[in-house]
Parts: sequence; C-alpha cells; structure tokens
Amino acid sequence: MIFSLVATGLAMLVAESISKETAVVFGNWIFLPIPGVLVVLSLIAAKREDMTGSHGKAWISFAVFSAMWFIAEQIWMILEIFYNQRPFPSIADFFYIAGYPAYFIFAILYLQPVKNAITKKMIVASLLVVVAVLVPNLYMTFESNSGEDQFAVALGAFYPVADAIVLAPALLGMTLFFGGRVNFLWSLMLIGIIVEVVADTAFQYFSLDNSYYTGHPVDILFLWTYIIFSFGVYDHIKIFRIKRESLSDKESLR
Amino acid sequence: MGADINQSRKALVSLSIETVLRGIGKSTFNEVTRKLYKEYRCYLPDCYENPEYLKRILQELYGKCSGSIIESIKNNLKDMETQKGVDAFIAGISV
Repeated sequence: MIFSLVATGLAMLVAESISKETAVVFGNWIFLPIPGVLVVLSLIAAKREDMTGSHGKAWISFAVFSAMWFIAEQIWMILEIFYNQRPFPSIADFFYIAGYPAYFIFAILYLQPVKNAITKKMIVASLLVVVAVLVPNLYMTFESNSGEDQFAVALGAFYPVADAIVLAPALLGMTLFFGGRVNFLWSLMLIGIIVEVVADTAFQYFSLDNSYYTGHPVDILFLWTYIIFSFGVYDHIKIFRIKRESLSDKESLR
Repeated sequence: MGADINQSRKALVSLSIETVLRGIGKSTFNEVTRKLYKEYRCYLPDCYENPEYLKRILQELYGKCSGSIIESIKNNLKDMETQKGVDAFIAGISV
C-alpha cells in the first residue's frame, strides 16, 4: 500500500513538473484505473456475500458508492478533455454527492449486527470529532471573498461537510472492531475519509483561490483515498475468501 | 430419551448460532465454520459442548464488539436458557 501511495504521488508530481498541460491530461486519465480498481473490488466483496445478511446489503451499498464516484470521475474527465468544459461544478457533482448516502448506508448496515456494543460515549466522541472537522471548514467558506458564484462556493463547502458526516460511522467502526481482523478495513476507511476531508478542504481553498486545475498536487490526496479504500476492501476479501484447500481437506475425511 | 433431548438442544443451539451468523452475512458464516474446522476439527453443532471455540473465533474476527454477536446468540436462546446443556453453553460463551 505504501508503495502504491508513494508511486501515485510521485507520478502526479512528475507530470506536474513537466507542464501544466501534462498534469491536466495525466491527472484526468489516472482517475480511470484507480477508482476502477475500487469498483471491481467492491463488486467482488458484494458477490461473496450473495446479497444475504446485513453485510451482504452493506457491500451492495459500497459497490453503489464506488460506482457513483467512478462515474463522477469519468464525467469529469470527458468534460475536461473531450469537451473542454469546466468540470466543477457540473453533472459529475451529482454522482459524487449520490455516493455519500450509499457510503453512509454501507457503514450503518455493516455496524448494524453489533449496534448493541455502541455506547453513548462512543457516539458523543464521534460527534465531537465531526464538529471539530466541520468548524474550520465552515469558517473558511464564510470568510472567503472569492469571485466564484455562490452555487460553486456552496457545493465546494458541501463536500467536507459530507465527509465529516461519514467520518462518524468510520470512527465508530474502528472503535468497535478494535482487536479484530476486520479492524484493518475500518482503520483504512477512517484514514481514507480523513484524507478525503483534507483533499476536499484543500480543493475548496484552491478553487476559491482560482488556482486549482486537474492534476494539481491536491489531486494526489483524492487518489490516495481510492487507494486506501481499495486496500481495505482487498484485505476484507482476503479474510473472508473461500479457502479451497480446507474444503478438499474436509472431503478427504469422508 | 435423555440423549434425544440433548441432541435436540444441541441442534437448537446450532441453529441459533447459524441464524445469527447468517444474519451478519454469508462470508461470516463460512469463515466461522471454516475456522472451527481448521483450528479445532469441529463443526457448528460441536460448539454446544465447546462454546469457547466460537467465542475465540468471533473475537479474532470482530474484536471488541464480538460480545454483541454473542449477546444476539444468547437472546435467541432466551426461552431455553435454564435447560441443562443450554445453560452450560451460555455460561461457557459468556466467560
């Protein structure tokens, strides 16, 4: 995972150092394979569960979330590269936004079988973290004097707010599964969302500043979110994969 | 007669565990049964006599909140918790 994070980060920086045009092209195309891997992994996880049980439904929601963000990334690329249009704000935002409820449903359904273990203290602590994340972002939005239209400013502010909301179940998940093998998934979910919060806040800052372009170093953080999520899902698939050797072992006992 | 009753209780306990695990998801059920066999050479009904195996596997998979899954199994057995064998299972899984 560390290698993937470093390699994508370096590739983005190299493209950026060549020229802004190279950064724009590379920064668009790189969002095809990396979010694509997350879609494939989430579909595998959903298929493994056969749509049964709470986790079965949870992984379908996660597949919907990853598909929504994948579609959003592709729309962004098509608008910018093929139509020379400004991709923010655009129809891509509809798909980004639609991904958040799907992710939230995933987290709720995954935690549902262990909901009795959630204490008031855990909920309060998670909400405090959410507020701590929200306050600086909202302050930055209201204090800005950008030339951007109000809709773009509001849309830019929406993302860190949505990230902060989905941060709460991720925090709960990491606390609840502490010491268990599925904790790795939830730790990466949490880290991924924290990276996304930073990325969305930085995106908003540079957009308000009119210095953002696709391929900007801040895009490294968006890529990292996909990579971190992908490794979390991959680890989960590995834990719950069907181990054929043990099945044949059972057969030999008959 | 006594042996038959014990077999019935064993089957009911096994069914309760299976219901809770399948309620979580197919993968959870598969992984728990796989680990039961791989690590202890036993099947789900054998948890009736060895509840600590199930407890250990759930802890390994779900960590701190495995207690909540165990509570769900115990809730499923509420109507028969005082019956001989079932009470031992509940005591064993609660320790």
